[in-house]
Amino acid sequence: MSAESILRVEGLRTEFHTESGLVKAVNDISFELARGETLGLVGESGCGKSVTNLSILRLVQSPPGKIAGGKVLFEALDGSRRDLLAVSEEEVRVLRGKNISMIFQDPLTSLNPVLRVGVQIAEAIQLHHGLRKREARAKSIEMMRLIGMPDPERRVDDYPHQFSGGMRQRVMIAMALSCKPDILIADEPTTALDVTIQAQILDLIKSLSARDATAVIMITHDLGVVAGMCDSICVMYAGRIVEKATVDDLFHDPLHPYTKGLLASIPRVDAAASAEGSQRLYSIPGAPPSLVGMSDCCPFHPRCESAMGICRSRLPPETVHAGKGPRSVSCWLHAKEGR
Amino acid sequence: MGRYIAKRLLSLVPVLFGVSIIVFFLVRLIPGSALQMYMGTQVEATPQQMEELKRIFGEDRPVTVLFVEWLGRILQGDFGYSLRTGRAVLPDILSRLPLSLELTLFALFLALLIGIPQGIASSLKKNPVSDVINRIVGLLGLSLPQFWLASLMVLAFSGTRGWIPMGNYIKFAANPLRNLQMLFLPALAIGIGLAAVIMRYTRNSMLEVLQMDYIRTAKAKGLKKRVVILRHALKNAILPVITVAGFNTGYLLGGAIVIEEVFALPGMGRLALYAIYQRDYPVIQAIVLVIATLFVLVNLVTDLIYALVDPRIRLDEGKKQS
Amino acid sequence: MSKSRLAKNSIAMTGVVIVALYLLSIAVSFFWLPFDPVAMDVEHLLEAPSLATGHLFGTDEFGRDILARIMKGSTISLVISLCATALGSVVGVLMGIWAGYLGGRWDHWIMRVADVLFSFPSLLLAIFVMAILGEKTFNVVFAIGIVYIPQFARISRGAILTIKSSEFVRAARSNGAGSSFILFRHLLPNILVPLIVQVSLSLSVAILLESSLSFLGLGVQPPAPSWGNMLSGARKVMVLAPWTAIYPGLAISFLVLGFNLLGDGLRDILDPRLRNVR
Repeated sequence: MSAESILRVEGLRTEFHTESGLVKAVNDISFELARGETLGLVGESGCGKSVTNLSILRLVQSPPGKIAGGKVLFEALDGSRRDLLAVSEEEVRVLRGKNISMIFQDPLTSLNPVLRVGVQIAEAIQLHHGLRKREARAKSIEMMRLIGMPDPERRVDDYPHQFSGGMRQRVMIAMALSCKPDILIADEPTTALDVTIQAQILDLIKSLSARDATAVIMITHDLGVVAGMCDSICVMYAGRIVEKATVDDLFHDPLHPYTKGLLASIPRVDAAASAEGSQRLYSIPGAPPSLVGMSDCCPFHPRCESAMGICRSRLPPETVHAGKGPRSVSCWLHAKEGR
Repeated sequence: MGRYIAKRLLSLVPVLFGVSIIVFFLVRLIPGSALQMYMGTQVEATPQQMEELKRIFGEDRPVTVLFVEWLGRILQGDFGYSLRTGRAVLPDILSRLPLSLELTLFALFLALLIGIPQGIASSLKKNPVSDVINRIVGLLGLSLPQFWLASLMVLAFSGTRGWIPMGNYIKFAANPLRNLQMLFLPALAIGIGLAAVIMRYTRNSMLEVLQMDYIRTAKAKGLKKRVVILRHALKNAILPVITVAGFNTGYLLGGAIVIEEVFALPGMGRLALYAIYQRDYPVIQAIVLVIATLFVLVNLVTDLIYALVDPRIRLDEGKKQS
Repeated sequence: MSKSRLAKNSIAMTGVVIVALYLLSIAVSFFWLPFDPVAMDVEHLLEAPSLATGHLFGTDEFGRDILARIMKGSTISLVISLCATALGSVVGVLMGIWAGYLGGRWDHWIMRVADVLFSFPSLLLAIFVMAILGEKTFNVVFAIGIVYIPQFARISRGAILTIKSSEFVRAARSNGAGSSFILFRHLLPNILVPLIVQVSLSLSVAILLESSLSFLGLGVQPPAPSWGNMLSGARKVMVLAPWTAIYPGLAISFLVLGFNLLGDGLRDILDPRLRNVR
């Protein structure tokens, strides 16, 4: 674990036992998050992004879910380091909301409909900082003001359904950041919102995390979000990370065919003006594979235009690649061994 | 809120009007007039007396007029007179209503006390074996006839002093503790079926709510399991349970009629049964009317409680007002 | 509904087995009963269950064999429950379909009638109707059936309203199909699922209602045996002879449980919405 690293995930595996068989939703994932860094976790829906992050806090529903292996090493400010998958449930619980907190995709369903938002924001502070009810309420109001809620003194007693979608997500952010966590995990925080609101929410997350030097894991399927927010990116496909790179490297020189496909499918304003402007928007052929009973092969090979013989029989190893920052890719095109 | 209550109260008027129509006209279906029934137990009457009686019983006027007159008297609190005792019906009912209501509320209390914790507990220990056991226990609770349970209780406890009222009923005001002790078994016999229903609803509702995103949010905050379940899950899961409990309170009231008979409790149920055995129709009409009104009011109260617990309902009304 | 799915659902299967056992005992009772269920036998009053005397469930206060009475009584209870449920469901479904399909004023008034009927606790309504009609066995059918009318009306109306606007009905209509043809050809099959479940659960409640009425002396009249009036008779003697109260009660509970298991299991099997919940 490097000096400024705060979280390191090693060989994480999470499985779901379903009627149609064992689903390996997260299959041997490793990545590292530095203090204050913003890391993007990108992929299509169902690729295991959310499960990865629920696994970090051991919030995967069990049954049917089960964390089958790996380590989640968290280093607290005092330098103590522990494996969140190995410690007691009680020890993880104390970290939740205090050191690592989460924002979820749909703020309407993620907020409790029968509790006042002030109560919901105050809960974590009350619990982790041992504040009394009145102090916690004052803190709630302060947090609501911080996230740009007009008239927080009055709205603190309102219920979630009385807020707009954007305001609800702001409430979620206030809730998540109320204890000044070391890490904020934002799971598709803008997907359920209007396009006009999306940028505001992202700006808010960006400015608040910068203020407190909070490390952020930004889960998204939207590369546009990643470009504006993140320092580095992990691209996930079918439960695995296929490419890791800094934002600059990834956007300027994508290595994995899947990453290339993703980038090519973003509509670009500048490209429209260029010579290829008339070209149709690219879409990756085929659909993501079923995660049931995956065999040893590159999971992307059925959709890959550059697929070779070996792709169908062996899993590509993670290969370190040169770039401006640390980067690696799991693809036989770039593998240094076994070709 | 006030306007919501007023609106709901107003909506009861047509329903209660319909109830009164049924209560009035069903009794008219009985072969033989009320006068004949009355005369059945009396000695001969002179022609003049018969004329007088016919006028009193309203046999000289059309039935719709009689209905309007009857309804008018009821609205003024005059429920008529017993054909057997000649006494006013309403005071007799009112003196027996408290016991039946107490029994019903006690049964409801026991049903909630048993059903909700059991439902929560079984929703947390979810595995195929306990699932099936819970379902069968729940269905079994529904399947045992209340009056049979009551009979078995009488059988089992007849040797134990104080638990079986049997003719020496003591009013709550006279001795609350003895009163509650006496009503415990009857209330349990009435409430156990509802306890089973409430258990199942609580359990299924909890299982559904525990899957919700906001439960994940609550867990992600680091809240203790107890807080997640009691504050976040239960408050949502209880909503359908309120509806079911309220809807079934009326059935508890019906059950009280039978159970009062088994335990020889001097409540409204016994009054009703003796009225039926003796064909005392004014009494029957009045009791049916009172119970149906109570039933409708209970449903209203249920809706109000629901609105109090679920902020979304209350505020939807608020929006309409503004 | 596939056979295999019914077989797989142990809850529903248990219900089927229980109900089948009762049907079997009814079939047997037509040809053979251990004793005459109504003949008094002063030499064997309140005899405890015993293999030696042949009174497996004992005898009652008139020396009548309890097993024979339970077997005979199961015919009466089941026939009343079936007829009452049939009456309530047919009238209720017709009302509900009528209201839901025609809409407008019809809908309004039919549902108001259902609301009013719903304003009586079911046992009270049944008792009231019995008090009016007099204590005859046939009247029990009517008293219980009337309780079910609003329930079936609501269920079928709700189902009709959801299906009414769907594409295939509009398609049938545009092809010139008449109203009644549409109703019975297209809509009825679609509301069968909730109805089958409701029928099964209604049968269980009907048995309970019938036995309650008979227990109060308002239902099946002695000497004809019904489980309810057996329990009523047992009240005076049950301290001396607990078997007079225990066996008829078990007979009721077991059959009601059977219908409840069946209805509950059928709901799992037939209702795709609920299939994944449990």
